[in-house]
Amino acid sequence: MRELFFYDSMCAVGLPLTGGTAATTPDELHKEMDRYGIDKALVRHINLPNINAELSNEIVAEFVGNDHSGRIRGVWCILPEQCEELPKPDLLFRRMGESGIAALTLAPFSHRWIPCRLTIGRIMDAAAERHIPVLLDNFTGRWQELYAFLKEFPRNITMIQDRSKHGPDRLIRPLLEAYENLHYVISCHWVPEGIRDLAERYGAERLLYGSNYPIFSQGSMMLSLKQSGLPMDEIRKISGKNLENLLNGAQL
Amino acid sequence: MSIWEEHPLARRFWKEGRADFPIYDMHGHMGSLNTIHLARAEADQMVAHMRRIGVKHLVFSHHHALFEPSFRNVRAWEICRNHPDILRMYVAINPHYPDHIREDLALFDSWKPFAVGLKLLPDYHQVPLNDRRYEYALRFAAERKLPVLSHTWGGSSCNGYPQLAEVIHKYPGLIFFIAHALFGDWEGAERLVRESAGNVYLELTALPGERGLLERLTASVGSERLLYGTDLPWFDEYQVVGGVLSADITEQDMRNIFYANVERLLGRDW
Repeated sequence: MRELFFYDSMCAVGLPLTGGTAATTPDELHKEMDRYGIDKALVRHINLPNINAELSNEIVAEFVGNDHSGRIRGVWCILPEQCEELPKPDLLFRRMGESGIAALTLAPFSHRWIPCRLTIGRIMDAAAERHIPVLLDNFTGRWQELYAFLKEFPRNITMIQDRSKHGPDRLIRPLLEAYENLHYVISCHWVPEGIRDLAERYGAERLLYGSNYPIFSQGSMMLSLKQSGLPMDEIRKISGKNLENLLNGAQL
Repeated sequence: MSIWEEHPLARRFWKEGRADFPIYDMHGHMGSLNTIHLARAEADQMVAHMRRIGVKHLVFSHHHALFEPSFRNVRAWEICRNHPDILRMYVAINPHYPDHIREDLALFDSWKPFAVGLKLLPDYHQVPLNDRRYEYALRFAAERKLPVLSHTWGGSSCNGYPQLAEVIHKYPGLIFFIAHALFGDWEGAERLVRESAGNVYLELTALPGERGLLERLTASVGSERLLYGTDLPWFDEYQVVGGVLSADITEQDMRNIFYANVERLLGRDW
């Protein structure tokens, strides 16, 4: 098993608003990760679309702060700059670095703002300069908005996933072809041998293992990746090396 | 230690890509589809994928037979004849074409051993499962104790709990496979199994991988009532097997799901 290093790129923690179970402490998450042999996880707050960014960021920072193993890093949410609800980019990024936060996300559709250059141009440009990854998990299923967003911010390192279980190749392939900084999380790419198809076409560097925990089990896609038919060095990239490189490349 | 090192079945699939037992995939399709790019939708590609992981039989209904009335079930039978060791078929039933149903079921016995049951798709054909237009096919299956795999979904007005409950009650001789286990209406699915005479099974397509679901259904209805399925060519066999192996259930539960339940029902040689 230890032949592969797994870094879960799509993991949500906290008490779910609508019930259900998810890890509320690092120890609980470690237990889940250990069951499947996950080495590290990038976590965001499970209620993020439904609570304010500041509160979500605070909870994630506390969660990561309580992890003394170094296995967990966090994601913070951004908002339009004009309302001054968050610090300016330099200060925000410094605080991220101090708090074990390695990536950004945004929830514009529930936080009621338009994701475009007008609203977050400065922070997105600053994130691009510093190679800070941006998770676009809240764009799931909103393909028109996602297409428009990527057109505005092609320089940013971005990560997307799909949760529909319907093979999204017609939607995802044009984006992978057009935007070299875009990375695709395979959590719901259940198409037979589809991981190999994407890796051969766009490069294994563009794919990231992610579980979509706690909706999905962390183990579910591990076997699919392991038996994808790709050479082992390509599998290693997808299972963890790519995400590790992206997060280590962020200048925080 | 992780499950991939500790659990014998998980370790085997992890290291060798297959186990030493057969897998029966009880929910498959074939052919292209309007809404999805399916890169491996033809028989040769699907069979190659299944052989890697050790699927012994896939029982499928052809997408085109389900969605294009001019594509008749005989063409699925011809495809099976080219892969006689692995492919088996459900005869696709479209309630809008009673003549097709009668003609195809008249051929059913001549399509054996490849034809093993019937497939219904009420949501997509927009005819509720308890509609009289299914009666001929359901009676046919009940009299012969053939499996009927019906698409189901929680909350559906065509194949939700009320329609299923009525049909299962009306045809106690039917071997009924609830495709997708009435996805989302888990209480309804559990009631259907509990209230049945032991002839109802929950088919698991789209469930494995969803955290906690297999654990719940195993605890509530027993793994003896669960069947493995993938919707192939929609879903990767390794994803679905990985989802079963990831569940916190016993090795015997997993074996029941992968093959033992089907062998109890249909035998080993079919």
